[in-house]
Amino acid sequence: MAYQLYRNTTLGNSLQESLDELIQITPQLALQVLLQFDKAINTALASRVRNRVNFRGSLNTYRFCDNVWTFVLNDVEFREVTDLVKVDKVKIVACDGKSESTQNKSDK
Amino acid sequence: MASSANSNPVPKLYKSVIEDVINEVRELFLDEGVDEQVLLELKTLWENKLLQSKAVEGFHTEEQAALQAAQLQLQQQQQQQQQQQQHHQVQHVQQVQHVQHVTQTAQTQQVILPPQQQQAPQQQVIVQDPKILQHMSATGMSAAATAATLALPTGVTPYQQLITSQGQILQVVRAPNGAQYLIQQPQQQILLQQQMQPGGVQAPVIQQVLAPLQGGMPQQTGVIIQPQQIVLASNKVQGNTQVMQATPMVQQPGQAAVQVQQVQGAAAPQAQPQQQAQQQAQAQPQAQPPMMLQVDGAGDTSSEEDEDEEEEYDEDEEEEKEKDGGEDGQVEEEPLNSEDDVSDEEDQELFDTENVVVCQYDKIHRSKNKWKFHLKDGIMNLNGKDYVFSKAIGDAEW
Repeated sequence: MAYQLYRNTTLGNSLQESLDELIQITPQLALQVLLQFDKAINTALASRVRNRVNFRGSLNTYRFCDNVWTFVLNDVEFREVTDLVKVDKVKIVACDGKSESTQNKSDK
Repeated sequence: MASSANSNPVPKLYKSVIEDVINEVRELFLDEGVDEQVLLELKTLWENKLLQSKAVEGFHTEEQAALQAAQLQLQQQQQQQQQQQQHHQVQHVQQVQHVQHVTQTAQTQQVILPPQQQQAPQQQVIVQDPKILQHMSATGMSAAATAATLALPTGVTPYQQLITSQGQILQVVRAPNGAQYLIQQPQQQILLQQQMQPGGVQAPVIQQVLAPLQGGMPQQTGVIIQPQQIVLASNKVQGNTQVMQATPMVQQPGQAAVQVQQVQGAAAPQAQPQQQAQQQAQAQPQAQPPMMLQVDGAGDTSSEEDEDEEEEYDEDEEEEKEKDGGEDGQVEEEPLNSEDDVSDEEDQELFDTENVVVCQYDKIHRSKNKWKFHLKDGIMNLNGKDYVFSKAIGDAEW
């Protein structure tokens, strides 16, 4: 099963809201759609995206629990080749990227 | 499609994800017995939400892009027309005696007072000879407006009629003494019953709503608000334009603020100060909820105990802060003890979004207090905009 990590993104949230709004979609069906979304987004990110970003800032808090890292950084600059984005505060949530072997995709 | 090397990968990525998901779940939908129509609806909803969020630039179809362009144009036109309208109104005030036909041609343009949404407003601007009431009906005023017009006392005639985007009808009335008033016939506002002078005609249609911005309104003998101010005022305040005033006798029942002015002077001036106080007390909570409530003064009718409780409750509600000294009876925007609060919430609320990065980590490293991050496959939402990366490397000091 792919990470459900990406459900709390613009894309994921708008999908969840849309699913909520349509009453013809049963909760069970909605869940299936979301699972499908998880697979699709994981695949797409791994294969279709090919860019690099650097960032620098100061670390405010860090947490490592259940193999998930959560950081809060302050005064961060995100640098891409094309442009620069500065934010006062950012939260980074990161799941383990290495142990994909334990996250086998189901055959469904 | 952008042909530059810097084209944003996000819209394409999102579109492809949407397509993939929709196609994959089509089977699921059919298995459940859900119609294909629902699937399409899901897709549309999904895309619309993405568009609305403005997190993605240049997201979607040409249709929607065209819609957006049209909306932008409409807004720009409206703003231009507002400015022009204000100019014209200034001229009218100065040309009190020469009004009649001067501006008729100039004002065939459509005027829309601050629109909220983009409805299709009925736009009429009618310049009327102040002395000839008949023109009004000829120019197609609504029945209500006509009745209102006729109900006005002689000498005070609608001179211009504006209809806001909400369908409210505003009449610019020019009194003999040269002052201009606007009378609003709002649909949502509370109906006031006017009592014309003895023998006059009641015009229940005319309603008045007071502008909450009355604070410094000059009070001369009969002049209250100049149209320009009104337009500006309504620019500042959302939604229902205020504006009002005067018709010679208007009573002010409880809620809606009304300014009474008498062109002819009668008893109204005495009633005015009282009514104004009431108006202000009651207009504010209505028209501008975020503003402070007046809990003292003429408008307040509750007992002292209730006052205190209300104050505290309202203050807590409004300001969402813990306050110790809220019992002064004084509602201030910044409570006295606010500086004691250590939390950083307020400072970082410049944008509504909390900037979030959702990703996977390859390696997290720390030396003393120096941290290094190796991340991959991430989606970022920074300052309201979405970004993606396949790899991200970062440094931070704790």
